[in-house]
Amino acid sequence: MADYQLIIIGGCLSGLAAGIRAARFGQNILILEQHSLPGGLNSWYFRHGHLLETGLHAMTNFAPVGDKRAPLNRLFRQLKLSRKRFVTREQFGSEIIFPDHRLRFSNDLSLLVQEIAREFPASGQGFLRLVKEMETYDPFAPAPWRSAREYLSERLADPLLENMLLLPLMVYGNAEEQDMDLGQFAIMFRALFLEGFFRPEETIREFLGLLIDQFREFGGEIRFKTEVAEIVHDQSRVQGLRLQGGEFLTADRVLSTVGLPGTAALTDWPLEQKRYTGRMSFVETISLLPESRRHDLSRDRTILFYSHSNSWQYQRPEELIDPSWGVICFPENFQGIKAKKTFQLRVTNAANYDQWRQLDSGAYKKEKERCFKESTEMVAKIVGNYAQDVVYQDSFTPLTIERFTGKGAGAVYGSPIKIKDGRTPWENLFIAGTDQGYLGIVGAMLSGVTIVNQHLLG
Amino acid sequence: MTRDEIKDLILEIIEDIDEDAEFDGLDADAPLRDQLDLDSMDFLDIVMELRKRYKLQIPEEEYPELATLTSCVNYLEPKLKDA
Ligand SMILES: Cc1cc2nc3c(=O)[nH]c(=O)nc-3n(C[C@H](O)[C@H](O)[C@H](O)COP(=O)(O)OP(=O)(O)OC[C@H]3O[C@@H](n4cnc5c(N)ncnc54)[C@H](O)[C@@H]3O)c2cc1C
Repeated sequence: MADYQLIIIGGCLSGLAAGIRAARFGQNILILEQHSLPGGLNSWYFRHGHLLETGLHAMTNFAPVGDKRAPLNRLFRQLKLSRKRFVTREQFGSEIIFPDHRLRFSNDLSLLVQEIAREFPASGQGFLRLVKEMETYDPFAPAPWRSAREYLSERLADPLLENMLLLPLMVYGNAEEQDMDLGQFAIMFRALFLEGFFRPEETIREFLGLLIDQFREFGGEIRFKTEVAEIVHDQSRVQGLRLQGGEFLTADRVLSTVGLPGTAALTDWPLEQKRYTGRMSFVETISLLPESRRHDLSRDRTILFYSHSNSWQYQRPEELIDPSWGVICFPENFQGIKAKKTFQLRVTNAANYDQWRQLDSGAYKKEKERCFKESTEMVAKIVGNYAQDVVYQDSFTPLTIERFTGKGAGAVYGSPIKIKDGRTPWENLFIAGTDQGYLGIVGAMLSGVTIVNQHLLG
Repeated sequence: MTRDEIKDLILEIIEDIDEDAEFDGLDADAPLRDQLDLDSMDFLDIVMELRKRYKLQIPEEEYPELATLTSCVNYLEPKLKDA
């Protein structure tokens, strides 16, 4: 008998969700996490007495208690967590800002419908038709890749509006450059515009704590600071895992959440690395500002998606970063979240992994500061100057993302090619999380649940 | 188990799966799926609970037998007679 029925590599959102699901109906389930904290891309750390979340701008797919079909509530049922006791805080409202047009949206679709009717009257009807189609579209039915840009242009016939709608959907969940598969578009459209943003009442730390408690309650075991060095296998089956330090654990089945390039590196899967390594990565900057410096937008918007150019492109920049477009988030701007002495402003800009990679450590520090300045100037055009008020600031780059999550090239959304059925060349090794195809916090968890349901309950 | 006990067992499992389950006015001969707004993932949970508790293996092609409360009882009665 193997040491474990199932070993999961990664104590991240997909790994924990998969673990809960597997432990609920099985025995001897182990999660291995290389870090001392859970969460992967969405974790936390302490600086200057502040708990800072590394990801969480917002969770997507908001649904009120009782809406049983909604992905969020299905997820809670599947994990046997009480949705009623989970306090959600909805966004104030968000806005897409381009040079000549602005579109506000909230968790009530009618706001976006009104805004589009006002700013782009000729496309109003087309947008309503698109919403109808998206409401019933099944993104999980197997289908060949289809261009979301073409789909949009057939319905809206306005390249600027198309760009404005694509920016938030792409930056929050597209591994490809330029265009997006229609299925992925439908998932993101629903997650952001039909359902919307919220956050847990507390931080990601408590949310991850809830998941770990549930996993342990069902008898699961989790080991931190335990890095998997090799997935040991023959031609058709995995026997177990060799850990850093030499220990060998046998397993009937293994589930990997470390992505395709990451999983390939642990086996000797002859994946063509280049095709499976995403090119989109980001620099994220957190600034803490005194509460007294809040004004206008920082008071009543949750997330701003901006571009200083109408001909915006979703692509890896040539330079270290491209501050001409990005995301500005106020993570406390959710209903019912109490104000503290300081508030956070987070900015996300597209970044070039190879450029960051080439810097030596002295240049890396310097460039980080320069990029922060550049980005701050671009953001100031929208929210007003704030550089002089910053009491604490930190930023992470594609290299940080790669180091902390094992995502090759810091590609937050993983491989542009997804393995939707979660299978690998080895019959008892499966993939969940980002490279299986569901993105974001809710998405990653649904991925863990789905792969366990499909392959790992029997 | 008697037919009544099986019925209670099914309701108890559903209640356990879905904290919002409302059984008032439940029609035993109409599909549970529609009345309780359950989906295939929830049905999988019913099957998995039966397996966990009674080591019952229900093959996928027999899931339709669990469509209504009455069909559940009919289907499970012989399987749980010694439970
Ligand atoms: C800056 C930023 C902001 C974001 N903001 C949001 C947001 O606001 N809302 C949202 O929904 N999503 C957001 N996301 C995206 C979201 O975080 C991810 O989509 C999601 O967390 C992916 O989870 P995952 O389970 O696929 O894997 P990952 O989080 O990538 O986890 C992989 C795990 O495997 C572990 N691991 C890797 N190699 C090994 C090994 N050899 N041995 C053991 N363990 C290993 C890693 O430590 C990690 O825990 C953000 C991401 C970033 C980077």
